[in-house]
Amino acid sequence: MTSYIIRRLGIGVITLLLITFLVYGLVRNIPGTPFTSDLAQMNPSKMMSPEAAEKLNRLYGLDKPWYQAYFHWMSNVLQGDFGVSYSRNNKPVGTLILERMPATLLLSSTSLVLAYLLSVPIGLWSSARADSPSERTASTLLYMLYSLPAFVAALYLQLLFYVKLDWLPLYGMTSDDYATFTTGGKVWDLLLHATLPVICFTYGSLAFYSRFIRANMQEVLRQDYIRTARAKGVAPLTIIWKHAFRNTLIPFVTLVGLSLPGLFSGAVILEQIFSWPGMGRLYFESIGQRDYNVIMGLTLMFSVLTLAGQLLADILYAVVDPRVTYN
Amino acid sequence: MLTTPPEVETMLAESAEPSAGFWFESWRRFRKRKLAVVALTFVVALTAIAATAPLIAGTRPIVTRYKGELYFPALWYYNRSWENPIFNKDRFRANYIASLQAKDPESWAIWPLVYQDPYRRVRGDLVWPDTPENPANGPPSRYNWFGTNSQGFDVFASMVHGAQTAVSVGFVSMSIAAAIGITLGALAGYFGGWIDTIISRIIEVVMCIPSLVLILALVALLDRVTNFHLMVIVGCTGWTGIARLTRAEFMKLKQLEFVSAARAMGAGSTRIMFTHILRNSLAPVLVPITFGIADAILIESGLSFLGFGASPPNPSWGTLLAAGRNSIEQTWWLIVFPGAAIFLTVLAYNLIGEGLQEATDPRLRQDAH
Repeated sequence: MTSYIIRRLGIGVITLLLITFLVYGLVRNIPGTPFTSDLAQMNPSKMMSPEAAEKLNRLYGLDKPWYQAYFHWMSNVLQGDFGVSYSRNNKPVGTLILERMPATLLLSSTSLVLAYLLSVPIGLWSSARADSPSERTASTLLYMLYSLPAFVAALYLQLLFYVKLDWLPLYGMTSDDYATFTTGGKVWDLLLHATLPVICFTYGSLAFYSRFIRANMQEVLRQDYIRTARAKGVAPLTIIWKHAFRNTLIPFVTLVGLSLPGLFSGAVILEQIFSWPGMGRLYFESIGQRDYNVIMGLTLMFSVLTLAGQLLADILYAVVDPRVTYN
Repeated sequence: MLTTPPEVETMLAESAEPSAGFWFESWRRFRKRKLAVVALTFVVALTAIAATAPLIAGTRPIVTRYKGELYFPALWYYNRSWENPIFNKDRFRANYIASLQAKDPESWAIWPLVYQDPYRRVRGDLVWPDTPENPANGPPSRYNWFGTNSQGFDVFASMVHGAQTAVSVGFVSMSIAAAIGITLGALAGYFGGWIDTIISRIIEVVMCIPSLVLILALVALLDRVTNFHLMVIVGCTGWTGIARLTRAEFMKLKQLEFVSAARAMGAGSTRIMFTHILRNSLAPVLVPITFGIADAILIESGLSFLGFGASPPNPSWGTLLAAGRNSIEQTWWLIVFPGAAIFLTVLAYNLIGEGLQEATDPRLRQDAH
C-alpha cells in the first residue's frame, strides 16, 4: 500500500508539472498582456507608452519567453510564493484565493450535503419500488433533470422567481444595504441570494447520485445473499437498508473523493450568471484580464485537488473493500 | 427404423435460419425503449431542420425564375459564394421581395416557409406584402412566432439556423474526438507497455486540465472564431472518455481467441486492430460518442452564452440566451425557446446514448430475461 501511494504521488507530481507547463504556455500565448487592459482599448489616450510597458514587463518577468518564465514561476511556487495579481493592485494570489473561497464553499458544500441527503432516500425508494409506474415517472424526471444544462435552469429559475413572482433577488451574494442589516437580517438576505445558485448547483448531482445508487442497488439486489435474506423472512426494508445498501457504499465512497475538486472549483457559468463572487468567477475574470499568476494559482489548486481526489478515491476503495489490494 | 422426433426436427429447422446479427438484435432491443425511439426521432427531425434551415426560414427564394432562367438564391445561406452573380449585377441589394417584381414582372419565386431572416431585420421594403415590420424586442406574435430580439431579428429564424450550428458542432467535433480517442485508445490497449504508459499519462493530463481554460485559451488565441474552430477545439479536448473506453475494450479483446487466430493467419497489427478488434468494440465505444455529442452541444452553447462562441453574425442558441439574459425582465422569449431547444437536444442525445448502452451491453441483455 505504501509503495503504491508513493508511486501514485510520483506520477501525480509529473502530471502536475505537465499540466502547469501546458497551461502556462497557453495563457502566455493568448494575445495581449495584463497591461493592455480593457481601459486602454476603450480610450487610446490611456494607452501605456512602449517604454512604460517594457519596464512593467521586465519588472514582472514577462519579457522572457514563456518557457523560461515558467521555470521562474515554478521555482517561486516551490518556495511558497504564488506571485501577485497584476490587475488587482498586486494583491498576493494566495490571499486573493482565500478571499474568494468562502463564497464558493458556501454554495458547493451546501449543495453537496443536500445532494447526498436527498439522493440516498430517492435512490433507495426507487430501487425498492423498481419498475412501478411512480418509480418510472420519478426516474424519467430525474433523468431529464440530469440532462438540463445548469445555465438554462438558472435562467429559467430567474425568470420564474425574479421576473414573474419577484420572490428572490436576481443576482449577487448580498443586497446593497447589507451592512445596515441586523444579524438575523443578514442571514436571511444571504439565504435569499443563495437559494437559486444552490438549487442550480444541487439538482444535477442529485439526479446523478440517485441514479448511481439505484444502479448499484440493482446489482446488489440480484446477489444470492439477498435471496437468502428474503428466504429466511427478513423484512423488505431491513434487506434494503442493512443488507443491500451497506454493500453499495463501496462505489459510493469513491464518488466522495471524486467530488472533492468540484467543492472548490465552483462553476464558472453559474457564478457568472448569478454574479457570485467565488472562485469560478475569479477564474473567468482572470482569463479576460490575462492575470497569469491568478490563472496559474487556480489551475494548480484545481489540478492538485483533482489528482488528490482520484488518489483518495482509490485509497478509500481499498479501505472499505478488503478484497481490493494494491500490490 | 429410427425416426427423428418432431421437436428435434423443429429445432433443426430453426437453427437452419440465419441467426439475427448483432446490430439487428441491438436495434430490436433499442426499439423496445420508447423514450429512446422518441429521442432518436427528435434528433433525426432536428438534423433535417438543420440541413434544410434556409428552406424553412429565410428571405431569399428557394427557387426563382428570373429573366427566363432558374436560380436558387437560398443557397446563399449555405455558402456566401453560391449566390448567383447576376443578382449582384442587377443591383438586388439582397432584397428579392422588392427587386424581383421591379426588375422582371414575369418572374416568379418559391419562398421559404417562414419569411424571416436570422441575419437581418425584416423592415422597410424588405417586408412581405401586407405584413407589418419586425418590432424590436417584440413578443411572440403571428408574424414572429418566437418574438424578436433587440435588433428586430426574428428569433424563430435564428433558432432554425442555430440548429445548424448545434447539429454540426455536435457531429463534427465528436468525429474528431472519436478519431483521436479511438486511435490513441487502440494503440494503448493493443500494444501496452511503454506506449500505454505514455498515452495514459497524456489522457490523464488532458483530463486534469480544466477544459474551460483550455477552450477559452484556444478561443482567445484566434482572431476571428468560426464554428469550424469551435468544432476542432471541442473535438481536441473531448476525446479522453472515448480513449479510455477503447483502451479498456482493446485490452480485454486482444486476449481472445479470434485475435490469436487472426495473428496465426499472419494478419498485421494494423489489420488486427482496426478490422478485427475495433469492429467488435464499436458498440461500447459508440456510447461515449453519443454522450459526447450532447456534451459538445452543451459546450458550444455555453461558450456562446459566455460570449466566447463564433464571432457574430452567427446564429447560435447560446447567443440568443445571452441576449435574453441581458434583458431578462422584458424578453422572456429569448430565454424560454432557445433554452428549451438546448435542453431537449441534450436530453435526446443522452437518452439515445442510454438506449444504446442498454441495447448493446450483453450483461444487461441476459438480465432482462
